[in-house]
Amino acid sequence: MAPVVQTINLQKTYMLGKVPVNALRGVNLEVESGDFMAIVGPSGSGKSTLLNLIGALDRPTEGKVIIDGVDVSTLNDDQLAELRRRIGFVFQFFNLIPRLTASENVELPLAIAGINKRQRKEKTVELLKAVGLSERANHNPTELSGGEQQRVAIARALANDPRFLLLDEPTGNIDSKTADMLISLLKKLNEERGVTIIMITHDPNIAKQAKHIVRILDGKIIEETNNMNGGS
Amino acid sequence: MDIVDIFSYAWGGIKLRKLRAALTTLGIIIGIAAIVALLSLGEGFRIVITSQFERGFALDVLTVTAGRGLLASIIAGSGSEEYLTLNDTYIIDEIAGVKQATATLSKSIGVSLGTKTYTVTVVGINFTEYSTIYSTSFVLQNSSVPLNPSNDSIILGYRLYDPWKNGTILVRVGDYINLTWTTGSIAKPIVKRYTFHVVGVLKEIGGISIFGPSDIQAYIPITTAQEIFETDQVSQIQVQLVNSEQTTIDSVTDSIKNIYGDKVTVISPSAMLNTFSSILSTVQLLLAGLAGISLLVAGIGIMNIMIVSVIERTREIGILKSLGMKNKTVMTIFLCEAALIGLVGAAIGIVFGLGLSNFVTTFIFPLIGGGTNQTNAQGNRVVSNITPVLTPTVCLGAFFFGIATSVLFALYPAWRASKLKPVEALRYE
Repeated sequence: MAPVVQTINLQKTYMLGKVPVNALRGVNLEVESGDFMAIVGPSGSGKSTLLNLIGALDRPTEGKVIIDGVDVSTLNDDQLAELRRRIGFVFQFFNLIPRLTASENVELPLAIAGINKRQRKEKTVELLKAVGLSERANHNPTELSGGEQQRVAIARALANDPRFLLLDEPTGNIDSKTADMLISLLKKLNEERGVTIIMITHDPNIAKQAKHIVRILDGKIIEETNNMNGGS
Repeated sequence: MDIVDIFSYAWGGIKLRKLRAALTTLGIIIGIAAIVALLSLGEGFRIVITSQFERGFALDVLTVTAGRGLLASIIAGSGSEEYLTLNDTYIIDEIAGVKQATATLSKSIGVSLGTKTYTVTVVGINFTEYSTIYSTSFVLQNSSVPLNPSNDSIILGYRLYDPWKNGTILVRVGDYINLTWTTGSIAKPIVKRYTFHVVGVLKEIGGISIFGPSDIQAYIPITTAQEIFETDQVSQIQVQLVNSEQTTIDSVTDSIKNIYGDKVTVISPSAMLNTFSSILSTVQLLLAGLAGISLLVAGIGIMNIMIVSVIERTREIGILKSLGMKNKTVMTIFLCEAALIGLVGAAIGIVFGLGLSNFVTTFIFPLIGGGTNQTNAQGNRVVSNITPVLTPTVCLGAFFFGIATSVLFALYPAWRASKLKPVEALRYE
C-alpha cells in the first residue's frame, strides 16, 4: 500500500536576513496509513519546518512531498487549500478562533469544505462527544482550560475525516496530567478509528507512546525506531 | 464555504470590534447623509421651481423680444438699438401656426398703495388679447376682465392687494391710486403723476413669473402706457400658437427669425424650462460631487482600518488557511465585512440625510424667508415651499455608493489578507 505521506530528499532553506539557513537537508520519510509517528529533536533541528512541509503549509526549496500519491509541488494555491482540508492540524497554542464557541470552532472546517448545516451540526456533536467535551460545546476558548482547548483543536482537526493528523507539540502548553489524558485520546483515535498521526514533540515521555519515533537533528533524520511499547 | 456562512463569519468579525466598526461606519454615514440631504433638497427645489414656473407659464406662448436676448444684452452692457412696435404684432399675426400676438410694455414705476408708494412693474397690455392668451392665470377675483377699459383702468396683481396674505388690504376695487413716473436726468428729474381707477384684482397665481401674468405686477391699457412712457416701442410680443407641439414652436420660431433675422430673440417656455432644469441638474451633480469627497475620506478611513484589521488578524487568517480556506474566500470575507459596513452606513446615512434635509427645510429655511418686502417675496416663497424629495434613484444610488466605496477601498487590504502565506501567518504573534 502506498504511504499516506512520503518525502523525497526534502530540503528547505530560509534566508535569515542575508544569511541562508538550511533548515532541512535531504529528509526521506514515509508514513504508512494507521501509523502513529513521533518526530523528536531539539529546538532548531528542523522538525517544525518538516511539519509545515508535510502539512502543505509551505513549499520545499528542493525535493518532494507526496501526499496520497500527489506531488504537492505541482499544486496551485487553491489545490493546496483543498489538500489541507484532508489534513488535521493541531498546534501547540491550540489556534482556536477566540470569538467562536467550541462547537463553532469544530464546525468551521466543515463550513469551509462546504458541508451543509445539518450535517455540520451532527458531526460537531459527535466529535465533541468523542473528545469528551459535549458539556462545554457553547463555551468560548477563553472559558476553557488548556487541555480542553487542545481537545477542541483535536475535534476540529478530525472534522473533515482527514487522511492524517499533524500535531505540533500538542502537550507543550498543558500540564503533565492533562498531557497524559490527551495522549490516551490520541492513542484511542489511532487504535479505534485508525487515524494516522504524525506528532512533533521534544518530550521523550510523550514520544515513547508512539509506534514510530523519528529523531531529527540539524535538518536530517538521524534515527528511526519502531517502538514496541508504543500504540498500546 | 457558501455566501451565507461567509457573511455570518464577516458579521462576527464586525461584532467583535463594535466601537471600531461604528466609527468606521460613521464615515460612510456622514458621506451618504450629505449626499442624500443635498440631492433630496435639490430635487425638492427643482420641483418647487418647476411648478412655480409652470404656473406662470403658458406652454403655447412664445415671447419675442428685440435684440439678441437677455444674456447677450447684459454682456454687451447696453440695450439693443432694435425695437419692436405694436405694428409688429400684425406682422406676426399673419404667420402660419400663430393664433394671436399681443404686445406688452413694462416699466418699474412708483405706485401708491395705502399710505406708501412702492416700486412696481406696471405692464401695458391689450386687456382682451392678454386675457385670452393667459386665460387660466389672468383672471380677476370677482369680475371679468373689462374688454373695453377706460384709459385710466388698472388691474392689480394679488400681492399688491394683500401683500402679507393676512388680510391687510392696501387697496380695493373701485379705489383711485396714483402712479408716479420719473423722467429727465438724475440731476433734474421730472416727476409726473397719473391717477388710475382700480377695475380689478387678479386671483392669486403663485409661482415665479418671467413672462406672463404675475402676482406682483399691475396692468394698464398698452395705449395709455405708451402715452405715459412717451414711446411707440413695446417690450415684448407674446405669441400664442395654435398648439404647444414642438413642431409648431419650431416652425413659428423659424418664421419669425426669417422676418427679423438676428434683430429679435424668440423664447419658448419649454426651452427655458429645459435649460433651467439642466442647470439645476448640473448644480445638483456638483453638490453631490462635493458631498462625495466626504465619502472618499470615509473610504480611506475604511482602507486604513481594514489594513490594521488584517494585520491584527494575521494569525486568524493563517488558521483559516490551515483549515483549507481558499485565498478568494479569505478575500471575500474581508470584502463582505466592508460591504456590511457600507450597507449599514448607507441605510443609516439615508435616514440621517433625509432627517437633515427635513431639519433644514423646517427650521433653517423659515429663518431665511423671514422678510416681508416685495422684492424678495417670491424668493422666500420658493425657499419656504421646498419639501425634500428622496427619489428611488437617489436611494438606490446611496446604497450603491455606500457599498461600492467600502468594497473598493477594502480591495487592497482584502487582497493582502488573501495573499498571506499560511506558514508565516500562523507564526505571527
